[in-house]
Amino acid sequence: MIFFLLLLGLVLVAQIAEVFIPALPWFYNAHVCIVPVIVFYGAMALPFPLMLALALFAGVLLDALTVQVIGGKVEISAGSSILLYGVLAGIMHGLRPLFARGRWEVHCILSGVFTSSIVLAQYLMITFRRGSLVFNREIWWQIGGPGLIAMAIAPIFFWGLQWLGQMTAYSYGPERGHAE
Amino acid sequence: MNLSFCVRWPQPIASGANNGGHRKAETGKLVRRLPVSCRVANRQSANPMSRTNIIALLIFGAILGYFLSFGPETTQNFKAGVYRLLAPFLTGGSGIKKQITSVRSGLKSLDELEHENAALNVENRELRATNKGLRDVEHEVNRLRHALNYRERSMFKLVAAEVIARDSSSWWRTLTINRGKRDAIETDMPVVTDVGLVGKTTTVSDTISVVLLISDENCRIAASVEGSREQGIVSGERVTGGLTPLLDLNFLSKQADLKPGQKVYTSGVGGVFPSGLLIGAVKIFRVRELDGQAQLTPAVELSHLEDVFVVTGRR
Repeated sequence: MIFFLLLLGLVLVAQIAEVFIPALPWFYNAHVCIVPVIVFYGAMALPFPLMLALALFAGVLLDALTVQVIGGKVEISAGSSILLYGVLAGIMHGLRPLFARGRWEVHCILSGVFTSSIVLAQYLMITFRRGSLVFNREIWWQIGGPGLIAMAIAPIFFWGLQWLGQMTAYSYGPERGHAE
Repeated sequence: MNLSFCVRWPQPIASGANNGGHRKAETGKLVRRLPVSCRVANRQSANPMSRTNIIALLIFGAILGYFLSFGPETTQNFKAGVYRLLAPFLTGGSGIKKQITSVRSGLKSLDELEHENAALNVENRELRATNKGLRDVEHEVNRLRHALNYRERSMFKLVAAEVIARDSSSWWRTLTINRGKRDAIETDMPVVTDVGLVGKTTTVSDTISVVLLISDENCRIAASVEGSREQGIVSGERVTGGLTPLLDLNFLSKQADLKPGQKVYTSGVGGVFPSGLLIGAVKIFRVRELDGQAQLTPAVELSHLEDVFVVTGRR
């Protein structure tokens, strides 16, 4: 439980930090996304109900801080980020046994792919509202860039979070009610 | 880096003959033995839907449904509420960011001084550092004096604000400023600098507000072109590759023939932006099938804003 609360706190800190991390002009103004990496780590480390709670918290924060209401219109409904995080974290949770065997490479790659998926889903939603589906080089970088960055930073974060888990004596074992 | 927290692999089994972490299954094949926790985790993945999980999923679905049912006004209130809660962190974070930037620039100066003035004694270094500090103060005084002069000579009622964060997402061009409802800021108020138009407020909480920049595709401004009768709508582009965003001035006549450098001002149509605010200057004019379109360079350097003014009314 302590580890779960720590992850919640880290998601909050990371979401606020993201607000202050500028887009990278040398990388087609791609944004650095830290929150998805923490959420996807939580998806592998936490039991299913806590994974959902973490996804819910991250989704609420993302909706609150990024989605804009302009001229009385909402381009991306509140709740859509919760759904995205919930589905993607659920898929990641399904790969938990692989992670439990010490294989983390797949999850690092998937963290990047899923981060880009969130940005792509946002883009498709705003395109649906604004019209004119455009996919040029800049847009691909805006979508792929955050994923590549997430993929690159994921091993460091996974290592740090695993260390944190060990410090708090968190058991990565089975969920309650399933133990032998 | 070892992320293998669950398995010490291969691992000898606790009972029976020690055959190097393997045992013979009924089929006669050698099967690797996992520790209890992982065997259970694997079994759980085969049958993941326990009663607890189903209840958690139902609660998640109910909360998701609740959020998805939000209308624009509820969403606006929800965002304002979250901003109210996070305002101390956002304001504090801005201060920390400034300190980090200041320390970094200070270290750079020291480094340069070390290389350039290796022969100078300690007293000289101290004097140089003091001079640099004074120059920083002078620069800030000049900047604030400039802003104050603009505020005094402006025909609008202005509320000065400091930029605390910018561009927090990929698809919206926004700024966060340290003024809100307590300072009489409301939604859809123009935001300017002494140079020109910056954008308009969208989400407003008690102490901070979000400003939608003119470089955002959703920020549409009725505009007129200096030295002509041409009028059109200015909006930003969906994605900007470079550091300086460009604006599009659409719905011009095909005969407009605008020249680079011609200035574009707000026309006052629409009610949000008062007339006469400088938006930018024409960069290119092109004729399209049905109308003319100009690309503009914004008057304000949007990526380096520190202080802005919110227009709360006319004097």
